[in-house]
Amino acid sequence: MGRGLAVVRGIALVGLRPLEVRVEATCSPGLPVLKLVGLPDAAVREAGERVRTAIQRHGLRWPGERVVVNLAPADLPKVGSSFDLPLAIAVLAATGQVPMAAASRTWACGELGLDGSVRAVTGQLPLVAGARQLGARELLVPAGAAAEAALVTGLTPVPVTDLTEVVAALEGRRRVAPLEPVRPCPGPAAPDLADVRGQPLARRAVELAAAGGHHLLLTGPPGCGKTMLAERLHGLLPDLTTDEAIEVAAIHSLAGERRPDDPLRIRPPLRAPHQVVSAAALVGGGAGVPRPGELSLAHRGVLVLDELLEIPRAVLDALRQPLERGEVVLSRARARISYPGAVLLVGATNPCPCGHLGDPRRACTCRPDRIERYRARLSGPLLDRLDLQVPLQPVARAALVDGSPGEATAVVAARVAAARTAAAERWEPGRLNRDADAALLRRTTTRPALARLAAALTGLGASARAFDRMLRVARTIADLEGREVVGPGHVDEAVAYRLPPVPVSA
Amino acid sequence: MSGVTLRRLTREVEELAARGTEPAVLAALLAWTVRPRRTLEGLRRALVAHRGTDGRPPAQALLAAVRDHVDDSDAAAASRLLPRWRARGCRLSVVGDPGYPARLAEAWPMTDGPVLLAAAGAGPPPGPTVAIVGARNASSYGTGIAAWLAEVASAAGVHVVSGGAVGIDAAAHRAALEGPGGTSVVLGCGHDVGYPRGHAGAGGLFERILVAGGGLLSEQLPAVPPKAGIVRARNRIVAGLADVVVVVEGGPRSGALLTAGAAAERGRPVLAVPGDIRVPGSAAPNRLLAEGVGACTDPADLLEALPSDRVAAAATVPQAPAGASLPVTLLPSEVHRQLARAWPRAVPGDVLIDRSGLPAGTVLAALTRAQMAGEVVERADGFVLRRDPEPAAG
Ligand SMILES: [Zn+2]
Repeated sequence: MGRGLAVVRGIALVGLRPLEVRVEATCSPGLPVLKLVGLPDAAVREAGERVRTAIQRHGLRWPGERVVVNLAPADLPKVGSSFDLPLAIAVLAATGQVPMAAASRTWACGELGLDGSVRAVTGQLPLVAGARQLGARELLVPAGAAAEAALVTGLTPVPVTDLTEVVAALEGRRRVAPLEPVRPCPGPAAPDLADVRGQPLARRAVELAAAGGHHLLLTGPPGCGKTMLAERLHGLLPDLTTDEAIEVAAIHSLAGERRPDDPLRIRPPLRAPHQVVSAAALVGGGAGVPRPGELSLAHRGVLVLDELLEIPRAVLDALRQPLERGEVVLSRARARISYPGAVLLVGATNPCPCGHLGDPRRACTCRPDRIERYRARLSGPLLDRLDLQVPLQPVARAALVDGSPGEATAVVAARVAAARTAAAERWEPGRLNRDADAALLRRTTTRPALARLAAALTGLGASARAFDRMLRVARTIADLEGREVVGPGHVDEAVAYRLPPVPVSA
Repeated sequence: MSGVTLRRLTREVEELAARGTEPAVLAALLAWTVRPRRTLEGLRRALVAHRGTDGRPPAQALLAAVRDHVDDSDAAAASRLLPRWRARGCRLSVVGDPGYPARLAEAWPMTDGPVLLAAAGAGPPPGPTVAIVGARNASSYGTGIAAWLAEVASAAGVHVVSGGAVGIDAAAHRAALEGPGGTSVVLGCGHDVGYPRGHAGAGGLFERILVAGGGLLSEQLPAVPPKAGIVRARNRIVAGLADVVVVVEGGPRSGALLTAGAAAERGRPVLAVPGDIRVPGSAAPNRLLAEGVGACTDPADLLEALPSDRVAAAATVPQAPAGASLPVTLLPSEVHRQLARAWPRAVPGDVLIDRSGLPAGTVLAALTRAQMAGEVVERADGFVLRRDPEPAAG
């Protein structure tokens, strides 16, 4: 019987940030009880009982002595059942059932069934990616999650189905055949932009949004094709790289929206939560471990919020900072958790409470003060962040039938990709014009263009923040033209993507 | 009577006389009214009490009445007023003259149109006109409704007059000044007083109205301050200029009731916007409604109350100020053509782009330039030219 201290490594996640957890086990004379220390949560405490039963039922030996297990560092909140596997290995090493030296080199994560089987847990993918980040070269993973784990390059997953295979792996008796990663999945074909007849304004705005990552606001009466346009916009975004796809999949895994055997999706996510929801559902949160919200689930993709003005103000306000930073920060008593949330926001709204303001076919029946109050809800900081504001006209039946088909998605997507490449080369890899540094941005703009923008903003009464945001749109317009510098003409067009002001009474 | 100084006044006043106004008549009337206890309104009453105008044009009847009662000292006093009008760019006209609003002169002297009218900017156009009046101390409901009515009216080519006060008046002027109908202010004081200060200052409402082609009117000598009686007299001019008077908001003793009364005396329709009965500012319109005037719950009510011959005339009334230049446009010609054809209706951006056959970005950039230059306005329903692209000849 070993008397040493067995150490096995597991992974804890704070948001998507991985932290190394040392699972230490030692046996000492005394009553055969298990003592867990190091602030484990309820699920981890239950792990003690699960691991004891699994070891005994699997024909392995539970020590007839007092077992102390410590999860270090102690100040780190540890949640979930992924520590079952390192815990079991530590106990087996401390009792001499597996080599102590092998155990001390081992990283493991996974849940144990009462029969000794090893099962995947929620958030398996970010745990695997996290292990690699922490420097693990090999990782014991539930066999059910092996194909997914194989997506993570630079780390060899060792799939195990039960404790017998765990023992074999630690004794070096188990040879692992190279795993076939789950195939990336392109997903269903997106609806084509060529289907959009008429609406040249919206088509242009959608192209700019895709190229520069600018947030888009569509206003128009019911039935003017707002959802249709959001889907086409999504179709213009380039595929994710494998690393990006893994990052996105990791978030979905963490939120329990992804099963380990799901194929890796290389299309950016498109999320359209139905008439929202709480602030927690939108940006993340909730009791206990904060879950990623819709914003994070749409990371690197498109987040569509329909009926934007029906969403409670408090919920919209929660969206502001994350939109600016591209990440959500959730403060908790013990930790500051952040999830990525760099989305392209597409807001859609009626132009007025009845929906028919500006509709040539039906008169708006709203009193002017109600329109003002309705629009006022949009104004201010949130509206400032929606760089492209497009009024949509209801599509006339004639246009749907006769209108010549517009350019196809493939044609426009090629321009979008070229503009994104130009931006990434100018700023840094992966950076969109939406997130361009203001000072650098001004350096690529001619003086007359800056003067023109300043003059236009004075007329609009817009904020300094709006200045830089419009300049970013102008930058994207120039990039789509393949121009190095932003000129007055580009600025003129960028300024046009602002809703006309609501007439304000005295 | 000493002819020398009066003759000099006649020469001096020549450049202030509106089109068709006799400088000699103007000089004599000015000389008459500068002396204490003589008023032009008194003169009108005297004419009514005697023989009317005996079939003569009002100006001739007036001249006959004052000719023998003015002297050199009167003329010298009147002469001192002229620079103050000149500084304000005013033109003076006598009732019944071509430069004097015809509607205001109707049935004079039996109606109480002012004998003299000083106008800065353009005088009110002869087309359909509505007066939108109400309280200074207005609620957001009142100003919102006033602006709504005024904007729709102006967009339909209907001229909007009001008293230039803060509150309802200002909301109506502001909403109307950009539209093709335009707006005029009837001041409750002389042109040189600068009241209300917030509107009369540089860049204020009055300057914006003048820039937009509207006018400022007053029957008072330039330095007359806004005393209560004068403000009330002003309201009868507002009523006299309008085909319809709409009362939006006002307390139980609001001047808007006087405007409504003056309109009723002239047989012109009065409408009132129903108000919240819990609010003191609803007293005037709700009382008018109780007395049987029409309710205005929609701009259409207002447009329907206009005499039909006047509405029909709206289409042909020249809206651009005299001397408007040839169409100089910052827009691609095809875009300008569409806007001109649709005017005064707006054209959605999508339609402009589609029909022009130009790239969306090109059209949008041009529209921004045209908007910044004041050629085009963007509204909820699309883009619209600010001025009639083809003002009727004459
Ligand atoms: Zn409406």
